[in-house]
Amino acid sequence: MRIIVPIKQILDPSGMTVNRRAERIFINREEYIINPNDKNALEEALKLKDGQGAEVVAVTMGPERADDALREAMAMGADSAFLLTDEAFEKADISVAVTVLGKAIQKIGDYDLILAGCQAADTGAGQLGPRLAEYLGLPQITEVRELVAAGDDKVRARRNQGQGYAKVEASLPALLTIAQDANEPRYPTGAGIINAYRKWEVTVWGASDLGLEAEDLKPLTEEKRISFPPEREFGTKITGAPEETARELVQYLKAGRII
Amino acid sequence: MDLDFLESMVGEAVEESPYRDTWVVVEKEGEALALVVLEMLGKARQLSDSLGVYVKAVFLGESTEKLRQEIISNGANVVYVTDDPRLSEYSTEIYSKVLGDLIEEGKPEIVLLGATSMGRDLAPRLAQRLGTALFTNCLSLEIDEMQRQLLATYPLYGGEYFQTSVCPEARPQMATVLPGAFRPPLADPGRTGEVETIAVDVDDVEVRSKVLKVVSEETCPEVPLGKAKIVVSGGRGMGDAESFALVEELAEVLDGQVGGSRGAVDEGWIGEEKRVGLGGTQIAPDLYVACGISGAIQHYAGILDSKFVVAVNKDPNATIFQVADVGIVGDVHEVLPALIKELKKTV
Repeated sequence: MRIIVPIKQILDPSGMTVNRRAERIFINREEYIINPNDKNALEEALKLKDGQGAEVVAVTMGPERADDALREAMAMGADSAFLLTDEAFEKADISVAVTVLGKAIQKIGDYDLILAGCQAADTGAGQLGPRLAEYLGLPQITEVRELVAAGDDKVRARRNQGQGYAKVEASLPALLTIAQDANEPRYPTGAGIINAYRKWEVTVWGASDLGLEAEDLKPLTEEKRISFPPEREFGTKITGAPEETARELVQYLKAGRII
Repeated sequence: MDLDFLESMVGEAVEESPYRDTWVVVEKEGEALALVVLEMLGKARQLSDSLGVYVKAVFLGESTEKLRQEIISNGANVVYVTDDPRLSEYSTEIYSKVLGDLIEEGKPEIVLLGATSMGRDLAPRLAQRLGTALFTNCLSLEIDEMQRQLLATYPLYGGEYFQTSVCPEARPQMATVLPGAFRPPLADPGRTGEVETIAVDVDDVEVRSKVLKVVSEETCPEVPLGKAKIVVSGGRGMGDAESFALVEELAEVLDGQVGGSRGAVDEGWIGEEKRVGLGGTQIAPDLYVACGISGAIQHYAGILDSKFVVAVNKDPNATIFQVADVGIVGDVHEVLPALIKELKKTV
């Protein structure tokens, strides 16, 4: 069984601070990490590898430093890795990313499962999985809490649905997005990290390797501006009889959509 | 600026595009319309009014006369419905085919869906199928009338800041809307509109994923404190173990988790694993309620990642009020029961 896991390297959000009053974003510490939810997808793939012997392929689209993300994936246990990098990909929005990843996955070929994260911690958009499934013409199961079984041309999973869950079955090949609460991703082994940089290869593909021209890579969206949430004002006090203050507080919380 | 020139520019943009109207995709919550649908209808009405076009709702599930009228009362000019049983439950492949066909034929300018479980599964797939852009988790939608574009604003980095973007050319412009971002409109039960049954062609759709079983309410294991969305904590100011139970009751009414300060742990009212503050559990809830907690630095340093902090304390000078968004000055033994009573009324 071949499992492909698209991963995204993102700026570590914990190195970023926002000053709402000054309306500025500060990068205190510029570090790049694998999107945490993508690690959940990778972990599910590795569990299948441990359990029934599967081949796990990590793919990422990004600048050259995304190579580190692939080395980490291999150190965790991925068998091979592909870096899709090209100056032509730099202005990509999600529709372009799907084209690039989709072409690469088709070129790798012969896969049974694609496991992706539900959303990236930077954009929170959650578009990649379903878009990629549509591009590749695959059935999809999103927000998977538990991958129950995969094999015999089928995958069975339990997915989050409203307050409860649903048991879903799809025919293979299929694309699943894995929820954050599905598992605890493993840590790379020391030997894994060493081998990932010393022994193992990352295959690098650019636009021409994927048969992509400039007009295939034009983004559909345009960013206009950024804005900031209102500054928090501390110290508002409510005084009065208990019933009154209670009522006032509840109104406040409802008006602010906090409850 | 040359007014004639401007006018001719705007006029051209409006005449050439065949894309018109704002569509809202309907979903139910149980037997009622999901609240986000009403919120979207209100916003769609605003957007359409500024463009001089219609609001059309697409209701693929089982719809009753009452629900159809409710959609019209809340702003829709037309409701597309179907009685085809294959569409009564959501299915990715069937819904994206039917909506894809409808949209390609009807050519709406804007399509809105709720940022719900169904919205997350369907909207990106549909956008990919239509070759258009999608803005997810929008908390603000406006029209740039000059450019005749939808300005969509959505959060990045979990809400640290917001991005506003447009989709200049591809149509329709699609957006998923965050529940609670917009207010539901004032319904007008006397409003009239059309209900149109659509033709559904899904014979060729190969449905390759099927739902085997749905469990509607999960007996969840307790959410770990670090991941809780709502945390209610008690401190030494609660007085005794019996009063601490009020903290637990408040947490239950709010559907949140219970925590405690160092003081409460020392008194034995709550376990060490529930201690909030430096050295205790890291929390980042949407709502944090501190009851009878003075606000020693070790405590409040541990709660600063909370989105909204409420404090209840009888000492108006307690440090906790400096880091609370809203504070109630009062006796916890009186305020908490009143709060619980008030919340039970509304929730």
